[in-house]
Amino acid sequence: MAPVVQSSQPWVEKYRPRQVKDVAHQDEVVRVLTNTLETSNCPHMLFYGPPGTGKTTTALAIAHQLFGPEMYKSRVLELNASDDRGINVVRTKIKNFAAVAVGSSRQGGYPCPPFKIIILDEADSMTEDAQNALRRTMETYSKVTRFFFICNYISRIIEPLASRCAKFRFKPLTEEIMGSRILHICREEGLSLDSEALSTLSSISQGDLRRAITYLQSAARLFGSSISARVLISVSGVIPNEVTQAIFSACRSGNFDLANKEVDNVIAEGYPVSQMLSQLYDIVIDADDISDEQKARICKKFAEADKCLVDGADEYLQLLDVASTTMQALTNMPQDMACES
Amino acid sequence: MKKAKRNAAIVISSSDDDEDFSLKSNFTHSKPKSQSKSASVPRKNPKRAKTALLSASCPRSSKEASGFDEMKRFCEEFKDNFTGIKVSAGLQSNNAMWVDKHKPHFLEELAVHKKKVEEVKIWFEERLHAAMDDHNNALLVAGPSGVGKTATLYAIASHLGATIWEWNTPTPTVWSEHLYNANSGLQYMSKLDEFEGFVERVRKYGLTSPTLKGSQASVILLVDDLPVVNGRVAYGKLQKCLKLLVQLVRIPTAIVITNYDKDDSADFSTRCWEELLVSLHNAGACKVNFNPVTINSIKKTLTNICRKEQREVSADTIELIAKSSGGDIRHAITSLQYLCLNPHRRPILPLKERPDNSICLDDAFSLPFGKDETLSIFHALGKFLHNKRENDLATASDRDAFILKEKFMRFPLKMDAPEVVLCQAHGQARTLSDFLHENVLDFLNEEAIDDAWLVASYLSDAEFLLSSLNGLLTRDFGAENIVQSAAASVAARGVLFGNAHPVPSRWHAIRRPKLWEVEQSLRRNKCQMLSLRGDLCNSLTLSNQIVMATEYRPALKWLGCRASESFQADDMVEDDSGSTCFHEKKLDMSDDEIEDW
Amino acid sequence: MLWVDKYRPKTLDKVIVHEDVAQNLQKLVSAGDCPHLLFYGPSGSGKKTLIMALLRQIFGPSADKVKVENKIWKVDAGPRTIDVELTTLSSTNHVELSPSDAGFQDRYVVQEIIKEMAKNRPIDTKGKKGFKVLVLNEVDKLSREAQHSLRRTMEKYSASCRLILCSNSSSKVTEAVRSRCLNVRINAPMEEEIVNVLDFIAKKEGLQLPQGFAARIAEKSNRNLRRAVLTFETCRVQQYPFTNNQAIPPMDWEQYLSEIASDIMKEQSPKRLFEVRGKLYELLTNCIPPEIILKRLLFELLKKLDSELKHEVSHWAAYYEHRMRLGQKAIFHLEAFVAKFMSIYKSFLISTFG
Repeated sequence: MAPVVQSSQPWVEKYRPRQVKDVAHQDEVVRVLTNTLETSNCPHMLFYGPPGTGKTTTALAIAHQLFGPEMYKSRVLELNASDDRGINVVRTKIKNFAAVAVGSSRQGGYPCPPFKIIILDEADSMTEDAQNALRRTMETYSKVTRFFFICNYISRIIEPLASRCAKFRFKPLTEEIMGSRILHICREEGLSLDSEALSTLSSISQGDLRRAITYLQSAARLFGSSISARVLISVSGVIPNEVTQAIFSACRSGNFDLANKEVDNVIAEGYPVSQMLSQLYDIVIDADDISDEQKARICKKFAEADKCLVDGADEYLQLLDVASTTMQALTNMPQDMACES
Repeated sequence: MKKAKRNAAIVISSSDDDEDFSLKSNFTHSKPKSQSKSASVPRKNPKRAKTALLSASCPRSSKEASGFDEMKRFCEEFKDNFTGIKVSAGLQSNNAMWVDKHKPHFLEELAVHKKKVEEVKIWFEERLHAAMDDHNNALLVAGPSGVGKTATLYAIASHLGATIWEWNTPTPTVWSEHLYNANSGLQYMSKLDEFEGFVERVRKYGLTSPTLKGSQASVILLVDDLPVVNGRVAYGKLQKCLKLLVQLVRIPTAIVITNYDKDDSADFSTRCWEELLVSLHNAGACKVNFNPVTINSIKKTLTNICRKEQREVSADTIELIAKSSGGDIRHAITSLQYLCLNPHRRPILPLKERPDNSICLDDAFSLPFGKDETLSIFHALGKFLHNKRENDLATASDRDAFILKEKFMRFPLKMDAPEVVLCQAHGQARTLSDFLHENVLDFLNEEAIDDAWLVASYLSDAEFLLSSLNGLLTRDFGAENIVQSAAASVAARGVLFGNAHPVPSRWHAIRRPKLWEVEQSLRRNKCQMLSLRGDLCNSLTLSNQIVMATEYRPALKWLGCRASESFQADDMVEDDSGSTCFHEKKLDMSDDEIEDW
Repeated sequence: MLWVDKYRPKTLDKVIVHEDVAQNLQKLVSAGDCPHLLFYGPSGSGKKTLIMALLRQIFGPSADKVKVENKIWKVDAGPRTIDVELTTLSSTNHVELSPSDAGFQDRYVVQEIIKEMAKNRPIDTKGKKGFKVLVLNEVDKLSREAQHSLRRTMEKYSASCRLILCSNSSSKVTEAVRSRCLNVRINAPMEEEIVNVLDFIAKKEGLQLPQGFAARIAEKSNRNLRRAVLTFETCRVQQYPFTNNQAIPPMDWEQYLSEIASDIMKEQSPKRLFEVRGKLYELLTNCIPPEIILKRLLFELLKKLDSELKHEVSHWAAYYEHRMRLGQKAIFHLEAFVAKFMSIYKSFLISTFG
């Protein structure tokens, strides 16, 4: 491995809390886990919650606190979704790792309990077959291994696995907590961030601290140390409010050509349309002067267009279709596409 | 029933000690019978007996060492008997395949078009008489199967007094055999490898060994039956080999290439063959295309054969066979033989009973010897496109459980359910939808654009269904079949339903889907564009295809840039050849196959 | 050499259109390192130009010495080996390729090539960079699997290999890949900016350029700089000195499509539909992508329509474009769209004019 250049180390890694107690905002989880750490005995665990709330951080911190830097390599196996995690990997890699027995030897002030830890990040993206295969493995090696599952959606973990674990739910971070974290990093990195930028950052990252930090780092890299709200928006790929408002008001106007022009503009500016849809969705939902029936019509179209985009349909045509449908709904035009298939 | 009993008897008896007897009894039983039957039966019989014998003696051989030897001896004896049967059976004259028996020996007997024969003959004459160092010594003979490519070559060779040296394709290795050999250290050698070796020898020794030259003035090398290739790598190897052969060979060589008439260019192998032909052509090989044999010449040949065999076959039958053969004369002869084999069968009888001749032709696919799906698909297509319906609702009124809106009402169909027709046509869904798409517009009422849309939308649905197949990573053949037939029936029923105002039936030629041509030339153009990508815009980046097609090329056309000139010229030539060949094919099709129904 | 290439800015400080982005990029690499980058924006907005200039900024003039070659990659795919052939463009420090050309095999290509690059990594001596750059074009056309494998490889070999991804729309790039890159949005240049560029070229070529003329070209170019420059050059060939009302030659396929559109407007019948199909075939044969045909056709039709019909027509355009993407044979869906339009338009005509 070549030495990683300092500047290229992601801040997400750099400012990852090393201790369980440092994990922000997840008080109950932290309390329970601190107890576990003291007794240095723990069950299988399942962490779930929205992205960027500290699940991976917690799991890593536990592992580090239990084994310390020296033993860490031999005792902890990290697998995330980028690794090929088909059924074969579960069968071989995990088994091989789990099969080697370990002794309990206290080393360098770390508890070093007599088991190994396997951290499965993004476990909800594992295939069902692989999960089923895991279930046997878990039972077979339960004496010597502990599994930490990390996922966003607990519903995607098969019941037999979930029932074998202690479940911890991670809450989305509040703005204050996030703000304080961000400011801490800014201080460390010598960035200047005004309050407007801070609130923008927390709103565009939607409670996801990792994303917020990533945006911050990108902005700092591209634009230097003084960071404004505009810069953050341009880095995050979020579409500025003026643009979304422009397209929405074009829809309200009932003028097709105007809407078409706005759509053209969005495409030419290179804004991602899927992002556009989700922001338009927010606007539509929040608007007070639109009836529920109208909202329903519009949202249905959003959903359809989003699916089409996932299938790889053309962005311009989809956005135009959305705009036209929205316009029809807003101006109460009759929808005469009876034979829509 | 009888056979099964006999086999059982063998098993029992061979488990006794007296195997000798059991075998003898077997043969005494089977010999007279087999002679009375047709040739195919005795071949089966001994085989069965053999397996029975083997299965019976296996447990024994484990007990006694001598058992094995005994068995071997029996097998040998067996073989003798077997060949004996074959010979005796062969004495019956009607046993030989008529295709072999009536193989044309003279040019006049060929059913192939005179001009084609002449062309090939002249080519060989020139080569045989001209100096050897002429580099153009390869002839590609391409065409669908059974149109007399090889027969022509042989006939010409004998006419010119030349000897044909054929590259003998080695017998293919069966998988289990290979497994067996692998233990004994024999290397598996694919046909392709052997062919490569052959070409290598040609390259090294030029195939002009003095003995050959001295003894016989004229030798023709014939490469029939090219190795089967799969996948791009193997195909590339074959192409390289053939190219080498074409360039190096010093004696007149004919390479026979059979087009497996799969026109759908989505098919990978078709594309390969196409490319292969082009590349060989570029390498200097002369190419002759054989078209399907015309119905008239097939008829003539069949009548001749009938006369020689002294069979009474009605002219109608011969015509029917000729038509359903789709230009494949070998197939036609085989069908004829099959018909004559069992004169009591008379599958042609219904033809005479029915009053209206045309209907019978329509039903040709129900005959046991319909040539292939393309022909029968035409019948299905005709039904769907013409969309014949009853004229009034009277027949349907009794089951009017619920009333449809007017725009969804259709008169009942004058045919079986579309699925039944499809099933009889057993055509590929994709071919069907392509054909429907190409031709349906001709059958719509001139004013009925709404109908056109309905039809188009259903065809679009069908296409969508068909392509969802290709997305399946794990090939689930069950699902594939279902989707196929669903798509076919969406296409068929969509066309039937959508065509709400069918035009009164009149004569239409069915065109071959132009889409196939378009796809071919699209691919060609794309490759060309990609290959020009480097020099066309000599910049530091690769530009993508879309930009090339939509921006650079038009601009270059305007600019009349040097680079684009050659590009354009090529383009034009390609287009021309593409379109002319298309016309040719179209004509062929309408001449031979379609006009009748 | 075409003007598009001749006047392509070679270095970041010579960039005219996206000056701000160029400056930021300059800052970014001044530290001697760069993160993975994702450039996205519409076609002809200058992504490639910026990437090339950036490479030059990082590696110096050696980035200009490129060779084009057809490489065959031997890839282990489970039990068998696959040969994948791709055109690559490479200098000592970077490799550029369009993995989506490889079709289904794209994911193998991505992994394999990065591995290979990582293996023969240049040694970090006296100021030379310890990494190579891999430029991947058309990332949005990569299959999901390929993008998935990309993110793994990105992390694994990040020490020796930096990726610059180039894509027309960022929504087709998976979140995982996007979050590992620094995203740079390149918008299409405004018409005034295009005019500036044209002025610049005219000055360099010593041409008299009437002000309104450049604006007209810019307007016609649909905010696509490459197109504007190409058109400008063709105008120069056609007629010089320029006059303000000189005809601007349209792209031939667009011309053709507008003819098709007027055909459609004139008559709506199965026969006409058949003729239109023939013309569409012609376009397809010339490698014009079907979705672009559909979009342009919609554009031409919308120009001629009453606003009542526009909604419905654009809806169907979107519908059939989606279909086309999922299907294989574009003509089926293109034709269905034309047929639908004809049917809508005809019933509209009947209801208005009786």
